[in-house]
Amino acid sequence: MIVKPRWSVQLRAVVRKEIRQTVRDRRIMFMLIVAPLLQTVVFGFAVDFQFDHVPTLVVDHDASAQSRQHVHRLLADGTLRDAGHATELGEVQRRLQTGDAAAALVLPAGLARDLAAQRPAEVQVILDGGDSNRAVVVAGAASRYFGETAETLVKERMAARGIASPPLIRATPRIWFNPSLKTPPFMIPGVMTILLVITTTLVTAMGLAREREMGTLEQVLVTPIRPLFLLVGKMTPFLVIGCFDVLLVLTAGVWIFGVPIHGSLALVATGTVLYVLCTLGIGLLISTVSRTQQQAFLAGFLFAMPAILLSGVMTPIRAMPTWLQVVTYFNPVRYYIEVLRAVLLKGAGLVDIWWRLLALLGFGLALLTIASLRFRKRVA
Amino acid sequence: MASKEVMHIRRDPRTLYMALAMPVVMLLIFGFGVSFDMDRIPLVVLDGDRTVASRSLVRAVSAGHEFVVAADSDEPTALRMIRRGQALAALAIPAGYQRELAIGRDGEVQLIVDGADGVVANQILSKIDGLVRAESLRRIDVAAEPPLQVKVFTLFNPEARSALFMVPGLAVYLLAIAAVLLTALTVSGEWERGSMEQLFASPVGRLEIVLGKLLPYLGLGMLQLLLVVAVGAMIFDVPIRGSVALLFFVGFLFLAGMLGQGLFISVVARSQLVATQAGALSSLLPSLLLSGMLVPIENMPRILQALSSIIPARYFVHAMRGIMLKGSNLSILWTDLVALVIFALAILALATARFRRRLA
Repeated sequence: MIVKPRWSVQLRAVVRKEIRQTVRDRRIMFMLIVAPLLQTVVFGFAVDFQFDHVPTLVVDHDASAQSRQHVHRLLADGTLRDAGHATELGEVQRRLQTGDAAAALVLPAGLARDLAAQRPAEVQVILDGGDSNRAVVVAGAASRYFGETAETLVKERMAARGIASPPLIRATPRIWFNPSLKTPPFMIPGVMTILLVITTTLVTAMGLAREREMGTLEQVLVTPIRPLFLLVGKMTPFLVIGCFDVLLVLTAGVWIFGVPIHGSLALVATGTVLYVLCTLGIGLLISTVSRTQQQAFLAGFLFAMPAILLSGVMTPIRAMPTWLQVVTYFNPVRYYIEVLRAVLLKGAGLVDIWWRLLALLGFGLALLTIASLRFRKRVA
Repeated sequence: MASKEVMHIRRDPRTLYMALAMPVVMLLIFGFGVSFDMDRIPLVVLDGDRTVASRSLVRAVSAGHEFVVAADSDEPTALRMIRRGQALAALAIPAGYQRELAIGRDGEVQLIVDGADGVVANQILSKIDGLVRAESLRRIDVAAEPPLQVKVFTLFNPEARSALFMVPGLAVYLLAIAAVLLTALTVSGEWERGSMEQLFASPVGRLEIVLGKLLPYLGLGMLQLLLVVAVGAMIFDVPIRGSVALLFFVGFLFLAGMLGQGLFISVVARSQLVATQAGALSSLLPSLLLSGMLVPIENMPRILQALSSIIPARYFVHAMRGIMLKGSNLSILWTDLVALVIFALAILALATARFRRRLA
């Protein structure tokens, strides 16, 4: 009768073999280390939702000193940029169509005369709605400027009539946590989240599918090693690589993009380990339902895209319809990104986020249990 | 050759279903879930005045659908709620607000905003700004009409619906995935298993092998494009204001380039795992981030703008948005077409050259 080695020996043997195998494949290592850095840098620089210098056409039918002054002042704060003049609407339409301007400001003929005679005047802003985000920003900038102008006009007119200028309400903004409203501090935690799905879920799913394709899994299974240890051994390198990637991206984020660390790094680490348990569990689950690497990849993608889009990484959850907001409670990605942003940007402590960590733990354990049960059944 | 590859795909229906389900699932999620426009933003009220005037201001801010009062409390509570994500902003009205207004001085209030998400913070700032200004003018009670008004017209997408903005971009993204990754995976899978060498031992010519590998995926990609456009039109009312034929022709050119890129990756990568990562890095990431699909290109630093000019997705996104939303025709889009043709020819030539060298 064969004497089975002790569990610790079994486990150590598998982990050592898996780590060696992963480290030996230079290209995989390259992909797991260089790719995250590259993604961080591209993401950090490319994704900037702070719109400024939006190219704007000026259609000044009035051509008075006053209309020129309005244009000048509106462009002064840097949100809009002068993209040249146009004289008629057909030209505006064409240039918005080709995309070399994103908005147009139309000042009607007789603007200065109407204002002087205290007749109501109207300016127009024409927007390219193709990019709805940018359209909102331009509309906001124009409304704010002309709103202020209108207020000033009211005050001036009342003063001219000898009426004491009425008091206004002023709301002074005070912005917490990210005062300059920069995008990278918000997006870099998102990069960490997305990256872990790709490196852990996809790589695990495809790695196991590949072993199944090549038949090496069956070979290992006839050895006295128990399937559970085999699984733990297979996942350990990716758990380590995942945590390392998070550290790498966070460091790059802090150095290059000024991502703040207001909270405790121990909380970030705890959250990361719990989250990686979830992503590994999903990867394992996918590998049990797919026979080829191609299937594993597609299934992984079919999971990853919705999970990322419905997590609040890119767009706010509150902007989703209510039924979809309910769905997001079943998405582990949501809890991790909330933990990261709350801890890093807002300095949240355990009291603020404990239930999210608990949710991650629950999902991780449930997923891993289901996946290993399925794995064992398939093997048997 | 092509029919052999078609048989391969058909024999593996799970892959085919997934490849076809993916566009539909993603389109539904994008259409319903991806929106930046918030309403019912939770707001904490810090009313230190508790007078008629302060309550009137709170009512003015929370009466519409933009804001809901999440709590009426003090600053530490507001901080805690914002930190936990239960509120996104706080409106602080100082004691003496009504008295100041009564003696003719401006009423100063503070708006505290969670700046973590800049897009949302900007929305909150401009929404509050409008509401407070309206309340301000209501108090002054000026003769009905304001002296100067601004009227905003939005061309191409008057309701500013995210779906219209996203669907053309999404089509690009899906085609990039399908073409680059599926091709890269299949072909590198053949290298892995050694069946590619077997093929070369057969009397089939190399060009036939390359074409045979690519054609079925070209078909699959066109099918996906059709699905995305059809579902987008049916469920989200995404218009096609330009020519449908032009749309599919541009799609065809883009697919050809992406397939070439997939082939090139497979020749270089050898293993499917590496091919996935390389494909994700060289096609998914740039297609998502540098194509102008999510963020406009002119908003990027110069280097990335230059980099984006060699990414075919950029031209395809521009062309798709042009055809679907703006009704652009060939006279506007010809530069995009030329760029796509150049990329497709270059990458296919490169891939075939590497392919041949690898065999020699």
